[in-house]
Amino acid sequence: MRIRNKALPVGKISLLIVLLLVGLLVTGCTGIRGSPEGGSGATIADGTIFLSPSLKQAGGFGCSSPAVQGKLVAVNAETGVQRWEVPLTGAVSSGGFGCSQSSIPVAVYGSPALFEDLVYVAGYNGKVYALNAESGALRWVYPREGNIDSIVGGVAIALDKLYFGCADGNVYALDAATGDLLWEFATEDKIWSTPVADGGTLYVSSFDKKLYALSATDGTEKWEFQAEGAFASTPLVDNGTIYIGTLDRYFYAISAVDGTLKWEFQAEKWFWTRAVAFENTIYVGCYDNKVYALDALSGNKITEFDLESPVRSWGVLVENRVLIATEEGKIYTIDAVNNQLGLFADIAETIYAPLSLSEGVLYVYTQEQNLHALNADTGVRLWVQPVK
Amino acid sequence: MGIGDIWNLIAMQPVINVLIVLTHFLFNNFGLAIIALTLIVNGAMFPLTLKQIRASKAMQEMQPKIAELKKKYGKDKEKMAREQMKLYKESGVSPAGCLLPLLIQMPIWIALFQSIMRVLAVIPENLAGLSQYLYSWPVVYSTLPLNNHFLWLNLASGDMFLALLVGGTMWVQQKMVMTPTVDPSQKTQSSLMLWIMPIMFAWLTLSFPSGLALFWVTSNIFRIGLQYWIGGWGGLVKSSPKRDTGRDKKYKKRIAEVEEASTGGADVVPSSAQEEDVSYEESGDKRPDSGGGYRKSPRDSKRKPRKGKSHRSKRG
Repeated sequence: MRIRNKALPVGKISLLIVLLLVGLLVTGCTGIRGSPEGGSGATIADGTIFLSPSLKQAGGFGCSSPAVQGKLVAVNAETGVQRWEVPLTGAVSSGGFGCSQSSIPVAVYGSPALFEDLVYVAGYNGKVYALNAESGALRWVYPREGNIDSIVGGVAIALDKLYFGCADGNVYALDAATGDLLWEFATEDKIWSTPVADGGTLYVSSFDKKLYALSATDGTEKWEFQAEGAFASTPLVDNGTIYIGTLDRYFYAISAVDGTLKWEFQAEKWFWTRAVAFENTIYVGCYDNKVYALDALSGNKITEFDLESPVRSWGVLVENRVLIATEEGKIYTIDAVNNQLGLFADIAETIYAPLSLSEGVLYVYTQEQNLHALNADTGVRLWVQPVK
Repeated sequence: MGIGDIWNLIAMQPVINVLIVLTHFLFNNFGLAIIALTLIVNGAMFPLTLKQIRASKAMQEMQPKIAELKKKYGKDKEKMAREQMKLYKESGVSPAGCLLPLLIQMPIWIALFQSIMRVLAVIPENLAGLSQYLYSWPVVYSTLPLNNHFLWLNLASGDMFLALLVGGTMWVQQKMVMTPTVDPSQKTQSSLMLWIMPIMFAWLTLSFPSGLALFWVTSNIFRIGLQYWIGGWGGLVKSSPKRDTGRDKKYKKRIAEVEEASTGGADVVPSSAQEEDVSYEESGDKRPDSGGGYRKSPRDSKRKPRKGKSHRSKRG
């Protein structure tokens, strides 16, 4: 009988395995993010770009400590040179220990909104900020004390009111000048989308699988539309119809008058982005890597474009072309007249934020914390600036 | 296809989708789905876990004998290792019996852990990332995103009570399998396992979503139950009457035989016939020629001819 010379140190190996597992947990080798990154789209007015950069996760062994303090940055639209930046304070403690995130960071997902001399931005920490667009001076913050639940969508402005949805399920209407609460409306689950105001009606989609039409004046409900899946995307209102996709893989066309279903279209994965309308065609990107061109009246598929990467960023319409970006950083142009697809630019950086267009320039903010300015006709890069 | 893709395909995707479907059928309650899946996985791994617990228990019961060997051959490490292996072999206890099930279970636990973290999808980045793991089952899409509330818990945030529960149940589990030892290195290792691990996991629990803690607590309680079923409260109470199963009795009897043989001072080397015996015992089959009894005393074994002084004379 052959006996091995080395006895197996079972206890030590077992201990090693357990410690290895613990190490995996601690170092976050699971590839799952624990902290929101944010990264808003750009909003342009009077030659200034406003955006809130993403909070890059700090790498390294052991406890990673992503930044918790967000900021709003103003950049010269012509040159990309920064004009000012203002820290967005108010990170709320989550009571974590050790490697956990001890504060909910001021990550911003929704693009800033402008009204008169103020720029508005809503943070994941559950606060809405109003700042002077010229200087960045803080005018007001809502709520003044403490925080509400996370705000993932952006804010909408109509007349003198500001609207936003919150993860606490409420839609809030504030006085845009003072930040005073005017009314609130409760849905049954989180709201991650941006409300859309159109003709005195506010359209809000919620995780409770409903799309609500509310009076923009007092928040009373006009109608609601029940879908099969949760809404994470922002509705598009065009010609009396609301177009919106859900996490149940359906894209709906709903009458803006009474909330009745006009048609529905099923894709292979969920819809997260807002659609773009051109005449009688609706273009919508999907997580199944495709952009669908649908007939606005019947919902019939006209054609589809395989972009080989999920589409999360909102597209824009440039005359008769739709520009749409994939997560992996390619921007495509679709000629809406003949539905021909072409590669517009390859940024090769991750794009989540909505594309923005102003005076023939396309602005793209990437998760690598770079702001790109491209000629909207040719795709030629005008400048790129890091915005951190 | 990279390793990550293969891992996602065979581990992550099935677990994530099953978790979501379970949530759907368990009243859209993600907490119940975590508990159910943990029990299902534990149930599926029951034979492996059972084997591991039994092997660990047998190994621990051999500790006095190993300590004795250490005393005897402490300086001669090679000899010590040889004698230790011999003791394992003769007792029918395989060190791999403890490790192999643990190694097989590890990827399953990691997949379960990662899936729970992914499905919780609290922040937009994680929910968006979940998309690539989903099967095209309609029920999956209509169930997402999941409700994170269960009892008083927000399954996406850490919870102090659950952290204490994780630490407590882990301590109980460790204590149950512990046997008193006089070996200082064994003592250190035991107290490390008994105290450091529960404290570390309790601390980690605070840092992770309580959905994960729910998985740990359920798993620990399952294993405590299993260990109780196998050997009673074990090291948890000072002198608890252990309810040994037939198989445990076999392990004990065999260890006793070997100890008896070793006390006699003989370097026992099993014959091929004895090796056959071991395999019969391990497989649970009866020996065709013995009517199911144990092998004859190792004293009666054929002694290996040795060169030079006998082992007995060394001791003397």
